[in-house]
Amino acid sequence: MRFNEKELLYLSRQPSEKAAELGMKGPKKGDVPKKRLVKLVVNFLFYFKTDEEEPIGALLLEQCKIQQEDGSMFSIIFFDESERKYQFECDTLDQCREWVESLTRASYEYMRKSLIFYRSEIQRLTGRDPLEQYGISEEARFQICSQRT
Amino acid sequence: MFALHLTAPAVEKPRMKLNERSIAHYATSDAPADKTGHLYKKGERNPAYHRRWFVLKGNMLFYFEDKDSKEPIGVIILEGCTVELCESSEEYAFAIKFDCMKSRVYKMAAESQAAMESWVKALSRASFDYMRLVVRELEKQLDEMQARCQRRQPAVRTKSRPGVGIGAVPAASPQASYNRTNEETVQFMPTVPAKENGVAWNKPSEALNGCIYAGYDGGRPPPVPPRRKSGGGGTVSALESPVSPGTSCFDKLHDWYGKEIIALRDEWLLSQVDGPPSHV
Repeated sequence: MRFNEKELLYLSRQPSEKAAELGMKGPKKGDVPKKRLVKLVVNFLFYFKTDEEEPIGALLLEQCKIQQEDGSMFSIIFFDESERKYQFECDTLDQCREWVESLTRASYEYMRKSLIFYRSEIQRLTGRDPLEQYGISEEARFQICSQRT
Repeated sequence: MFALHLTAPAVEKPRMKLNERSIAHYATSDAPADKTGHLYKKGERNPAYHRRWFVLKGNMLFYFEDKDSKEPIGVIILEGCTVELCESSEEYAFAIKFDCMKSRVYKMAAESQAAMESWVKALSRASFDYMRLVVRELEKQLDEMQARCQRRQPAVRTKSRPGVGIGAVPAASPQASYNRTNEETVQFMPTVPAKENGVAWNKPSEALNGCIYAGYDGGRPPPVPPRRKSGGGGTVSALESPVSPGTSCFDKLHDWYGKEIIALRDEWLLSQVDGPPSHV
């Protein structure tokens, strides 16, 4: 599948919400854990070899579940490949919890649900649609019902 | 003797890895798309425009050979880009331009004026960054509402039945609280000028009932201290009023409800991502 790699590279250099050196193990049998600089930018999780400028790769964090595991570890499981996990090892349990929380909220879909929630709360409390002033009330992506085309 | 210094042939840098299979699955999954339709896309090396089927989901613009294709040919990640009309031999042309240097410009053309306008609008607001901006703005608005309520005088109680004006209800004794009707809600005197006479808004309860939200929309209400619970479901978010209108009591209660609401919200939001969401 083609993708705009140059732009993704550019994205990987943007300020991140969260970055840390973690142990990372790929989903394939025989993958071994390696130390990686892991960086969260929008809904992408980039992973670099420490001290390298360009990431080895990225994971788009949509349609996946972030799961806390034993021993300060967490895993990312994509819905279409539930038997395969990307596993990450943190230094402390606290760090692990923070990552699980951040990554859970990192998807576009989660952000969309937050927006719909806030919109409906504000509407409920004030009788006003807060998106109207921005002229985006009718945008498909902000609609409460899940029917969008 | 000089050693021949051979430069190793330039090794092509491997393409950045991406979880392509899962991304392709995202494209074809039941998760509703924000927009779909045919567009013409100018080839990378080939100057010809090719008609493709486009699917916009979040900040990802997928393109397929045609509407029935099982897998996307490719995806354009829409972060850090602007969408503008452009000069072209094609009608209804527009371009997706990226901030980064030496970036490729994606030239596209729609099949009608209306389609072009609709796509330009949808694509220019597709980024995660934009969504986040809007969310933060709404979050701020909600926080400001809560803060305003906290600074206000505590509740003046009134019955919510129409026609009943506000009278200062004498400080309720614990006994009196048990006699309250189901519909009594704690109302605040809003600072909005239109309500200067202090008459509480008699909107249906899903509207402003001050800053105390009781669960929401029939969801699990926050735990109420042991006393007679308000019966009747529906959208009446009637509350058992706090024990006394004293400031400290209200603040504590507000804080408590506030935390409960945040917890409820987070729980609800997380439950939406737990396993395949119901509308995916």
